[in-house]
Amino acid sequence: MAYYAEKNFFEDQQLIELVTNILSGNLTLEWYTAEGGRVRARPSDLRRGLTYEDCNLGPYGYDAIPEFVRNRYSMAARGSVLVSKLPDLGYTINRRSDVWSDNVVALYEEAKARRWAPAVDVPWAELTAGDSVREAAMAQLCTFLEEVALVAMEMPSKWVFSINQEFLELKSFLCAQMIDEARHVEAWRKRALTSGHGLGRASVSAEQALKELLSAETYPEASLGTNLLLGSFVLAMCRAIAALAETRADRLLATLAMQDVARSVAYGVGHMRYHLAHQPGKAVALAEYLDRTEHVVLGIAGSPEFLEPVVILAAGSVDRDRLAAGSRFARRWYTSAVEEYFERAAAVGLPRRERSRLPRLDV
Amino acid sequence: MSYLSTTDFTEDQPFVDRFERMLRGDLDLSWLDAPRERVTCRPENARRGLTFRDLDVGSYGFTDMPELIRENRSFAPRGAAMPEGLPDLQAEVNRKSEVWAYNVEGYYEEAMTRQWNATTDIPWAELQSVELPEDIGKAYAQLLTFLTEVEMIATDVPAKWMGRLNADFFEVKNFIATQAMDEARHAEIFRKRALSTGWGLMRASAQNEFNLKFLRDADSFAEASLALHLQAEGMVLTLFRFSEYISPTEGDKKLFRLVMQDEARHVGYGMQHLKWVLDHFPERREAIHHHLDEAENFVFGGGYATEVLEPFIILSGKGLKKENIAEGVRITNAFQLKQADEYFERLAKCGLPERRERSRLWKMIDLRKQTMAA
Repeated sequence: MAYYAEKNFFEDQQLIELVTNILSGNLTLEWYTAEGGRVRARPSDLRRGLTYEDCNLGPYGYDAIPEFVRNRYSMAARGSVLVSKLPDLGYTINRRSDVWSDNVVALYEEAKARRWAPAVDVPWAELTAGDSVREAAMAQLCTFLEEVALVAMEMPSKWVFSINQEFLELKSFLCAQMIDEARHVEAWRKRALTSGHGLGRASVSAEQALKELLSAETYPEASLGTNLLLGSFVLAMCRAIAALAETRADRLLATLAMQDVARSVAYGVGHMRYHLAHQPGKAVALAEYLDRTEHVVLGIAGSPEFLEPVVILAAGSVDRDRLAAGSRFARRWYTSAVEEYFERAAAVGLPRRERSRLPRLDV
Repeated sequence: MSYLSTTDFTEDQPFVDRFERMLRGDLDLSWLDAPRERVTCRPENARRGLTFRDLDVGSYGFTDMPELIRENRSFAPRGAAMPEGLPDLQAEVNRKSEVWAYNVEGYYEEAMTRQWNATTDIPWAELQSVELPEDIGKAYAQLLTFLTEVEMIATDVPAKWMGRLNADFFEVKNFIATQAMDEARHAEIFRKRALSTGWGLMRASAQNEFNLKFLRDADSFAEASLALHLQAEGMVLTLFRFSEYISPTEGDKKLFRLVMQDEARHVGYGMQHLKWVLDHFPERREAIHHHLDEAENFVFGGGYATEVLEPFIILSGKGLKKENIAEGVRITNAFQLKQADEYFERLAKCGLPERRERSRLWKMIDLRKQTMAA
């Protein structure tokens, strides 16, 4: 135990008298006159329901959150009337532009509306296990993606605890990211274990790279590294699996995962844009972060545990001629994944095309 | 400086060469030869789909997972081949009985299939058409303010622990992720309802925040879970059930029914976890009692939170008149006794029947029962 109550309440006569008095019908009603501001939130569009945007009202709204949250360190709901003695809950991320994104509220609402459950939303019965090299490749690819999803799930969990409660909508989005990635851990594992091959091999290079990403020192670095950089590549991976799928189940699994990852990428882009708009001086440090960290996506996308199964899935076999065709697909995949990442980075104000050390390929 | 990968991949020429060879179709395929257990998992029940329980097979399953995880310190999925060079992720919790719960895989699957949406699953238009009288409206807004304030602690606390658990406990991590989302949704729905009453948010609760800090600062996952899932959420579950009963409209009753099903899952995990701990790690028993001693001290101190107790009385009695208050006190007394009874009953069912004898909270409740009977 690290925190104790200020007293032993069982021996607090004042407390016993207070409660006895109230339960005798003598209410204090001290709270009755407290008002944070009278508002009435209404759905602006009944079909969409009552969104957080509809609740963006006066002192309660997210528009009212200041850049620096200096005087609120408890879990008191934003806009409620504060009282004395509220404890400090130890938040260390208290600057709005360190976490915020203009699209985060909409992304949270979307995450809830587009929920899915791997157990029942993927037609597992349609998959047939087999000894084919294709199924072995799929099992290896899914083993790799389960590893990636575990890290992607931990990234928001690692930070949410430290983020000030005033940023409620943002913290809620991080929770949505956690459940999205839990779903991916589940879905990729289930797909691997229906293959007839069991799980494949963990990836040393990918895990080294993922550990570096997970260890980012600040939230902006973590978000840039995981949501924008890694997210761009994982999004491209899901798209590749959907494109190469031979069954409805695999295509559905990959497209459902893709829409979740797309949200994280969208947040990553929006967050960096917001962050740099409010803290332009951070562009230098973040560009340096990418200079030293960008190599991790080569460790991930270039790992044999990912790339070789992709080549095989695209080739359909391990015949030499077919592998040549499969490798052309993989080259195009890598080139477009890098290109999309560069475009996103440029869009947020971090041009990478000239600075990046990631290999470029002739396709 | 944060952790740096053992190699900079762009400068690792053998790695880059291999990358280029793969992209020419020259594959090594050593992963195909990795020793593995070949299984084919299928849904046991087509209507339920493919569940984690269907995956409980051999080295991939949770049943055969050892009590101490000695081998895997990386993110290698449980059962995957682990080559040399995987990093150590510095997991702090590597003992199964510190985190595991009977049926955790079932709670996870249930959570995934029962996600709901606070934006669209509540009849907001219907609620809008009901004008609450001032006393009821203010009391309800105050109760909702309290609930908004406390819900996210059940996100922050489990999330804090997720990264400290060994990756082999991924079913528990996944459950934590669903709980984080459940609680975000609860904070959302209570906030939205408060802001739609016309009264806005009311007063924060210092006394309850002390309790949140206690939950947040637990030294171990087992302590955090005990105080959060079993004690705090257990008591909140009873509060939700009574809140459904005293809710001013049908739409509000639906709101409480939805949050209740999530909360019941969290309490279920807490109970099954404690049961697992007591079955597999009995030397923890004394530490559990010590933690509950302080947790119950906070519960009793919650009496200072007049901003929770009084709105409950007003809502129960449906007003501020003398006769309303008398009825409200009667219902609130019944609620509080029920809350305590259920809490001790849960502990007894988990294998802690002696808690009643040791607990000062139980003694105070017992005293109150005797006073009321007299």
